[in-house]
Amino acid sequence: MSKKKRNPHDKRRITRRTLREWGFGYLFIAPWIVGVSIFFLYAMVRSLEFSFSKVELSNGVILHPLENGIFENFVKVFTTDVNFPTILANFGVGLVLQLPVIIAFSLIIALLLNSKIRCRSLFRMIFFLPVIIATGPVMSKLTAQGVSSVPMVSQNALLSILSELPEFIYQPISNLFSGLIMILWNSGIQILIFLAGLQKVPRTLYEAAKIDGASGWESFWKITLPTVKPLILLNSIYTVVTLATGGTNEIIELIYTATYTATQGYSYAMAMSWIYTLVVSVILLLVFLLLREKSDRHVVYEQKRVVIKGVPVKNG
Amino acid sequence: MAAIGGTRVNPKKFHKNQIPFYLYLVPIAVFMGLPIVYIINHAFKPMDELFAFPPKFFVSHPSLINFQNLFQAAGTSTIPISRYVFNSLLVTAAVVFLSVLISTMAAFALSKMHFKLKNTIFEVNNLALMFVATAVTIPRYLTISNLGILDTYWAHILPQVAMPVCLFLIKQFVDGVPNSLIEAAQLEGAGSFTIYRKIIIPLIKPAIATGAILVFQNVWNNIETSSLFTTSEGVRTLAFYMNTLSTAGTVQGQGMAAAAALIMFIPNLLLFIVMQSSVMNTMAHSGLK
Repeated sequence: MSKKKRNPHDKRRITRRTLREWGFGYLFIAPWIVGVSIFFLYAMVRSLEFSFSKVELSNGVILHPLENGIFENFVKVFTTDVNFPTILANFGVGLVLQLPVIIAFSLIIALLLNSKIRCRSLFRMIFFLPVIIATGPVMSKLTAQGVSSVPMVSQNALLSILSELPEFIYQPISNLFSGLIMILWNSGIQILIFLAGLQKVPRTLYEAAKIDGASGWESFWKITLPTVKPLILLNSIYTVVTLATGGTNEIIELIYTATYTATQGYSYAMAMSWIYTLVVSVILLLVFLLLREKSDRHVVYEQKRVVIKGVPVKNG
Repeated sequence: MAAIGGTRVNPKKFHKNQIPFYLYLVPIAVFMGLPIVYIINHAFKPMDELFAFPPKFFVSHPSLINFQNLFQAAGTSTIPISRYVFNSLLVTAAVVFLSVLISTMAAFALSKMHFKLKNTIFEVNNLALMFVATAVTIPRYLTISNLGILDTYWAHILPQVAMPVCLFLIKQFVDGVPNSLIEAAQLEGAGSFTIYRKIIIPLIKPAIATGAILVFQNVWNNIETSSLFTTSEGVRTLAFYMNTLSTAGTVQGQGMAAAAALIMFIPNLLLFIVMQSSVMNTMAHSGLK
């Protein structure tokens, strides 16, 4: 479809050339499709199937139909487990609170790292370092020892004021403070992505803006931010996904325990993880709707024109 | 703020204008460096310091006792530790190579080629991105046993090769490669494979390096494929072995866990140091956009 829109005159040649291009496309993506269909899609479909039935794990898997309606497992998640809805709500609110903090923090750090200072590469390394240990068991040990919390905040008057708030708002905020360092550690990739974007902003743009009398603050809003806006969306999605599927997440632990507990059963855990996936998808959709590009496109486009001037362009 | 935009030339020496940047950067950098300092310190703590309350951050009497315990325990097992190291290296190298290859190819196709179902495929990737890995372990086990690769190296490699996060990251970078460059190459008569090899790969090297580091540490630290998909010790990985040693439940287990964490961490650090120049710096010179 998009091909036709780009080159309307191509219409008459749809036959062999288009087919050839399609063929190469499928060829390039085929290994990935095979891998994902076998180890993700098939597994996901099976787990969906499991969540709608009663699973007996013996020598292989035997599925029994559910006795009390097809949604029995899903209903059970909300009715029998006291913890799940609370943890899920806490997770959701916590995610919404943490996301802007991580994004803002990594953007600020990226801006600082992009400025001309000495030992720049050393600093860049240090800020990326937590990424390479973030998955290890080290992280959970550090958190357990309280390294990740800011000690001043917990005794601070701020929290006692906040504790007047309803529990479901207060809890995530206090978690936010106690996990502040954790947030910093989580932002290595985001910093890197922003940095890549910032390095691509042509310096001439800033010089031109400066000559026209723009302050640093103004050129940040008018030049820097529009350029990195697509990256903000990318980073937000990445952040939500890593926070949602990371090992230190309470819900994941809950699902993990339920998976290997005989009393609750495997299908129950499957129902839980599908509910969880739906919640994460909704959050991602909201993020996407909020941050997708609308009117800013022309700014980015014009920058592109500036840079590729001199490179032979076919159509123009 | 003006300096942030990078309008100045690179300073040859220290200037007092830079002080505000250091005021922000240094304290945060210290925080970011904490975990590494902690890992190193923790591994060298003798028993009484490991269990000290309140816990201490720095070691005051460093000793090698944890490492000695670890190697002693390793010496008693039937399979030499070198076998686990070999397994881990083989599996990790294979997964990193294959997964980077597959992800870059798929990213190139999704981003720069036109074919039917393209958007659907990307949506599927996004769905797979979000799905809880724990939930698919049992279906995956069934698949692996149906394929007949239980208890082989393939059981480690294949499930981890298609990494949705990796594809997602790399695709965003391929999107940044200007179409005009590809069109120019096409006019010169370059085929899809040539474009992939000569244009896409060199231009997205930073993304590849980042993806490779992500995949590497995922695979290197993974104990699930060993515990779920293999039964014989001969094909299990170092991460799994270290985990069994250190969770033996003894008092020494804690110290051994700390030592094991340091040993497992060193390859991560080495890889990062080797790759950091391409991760951090090539973006400026890659000619993107």
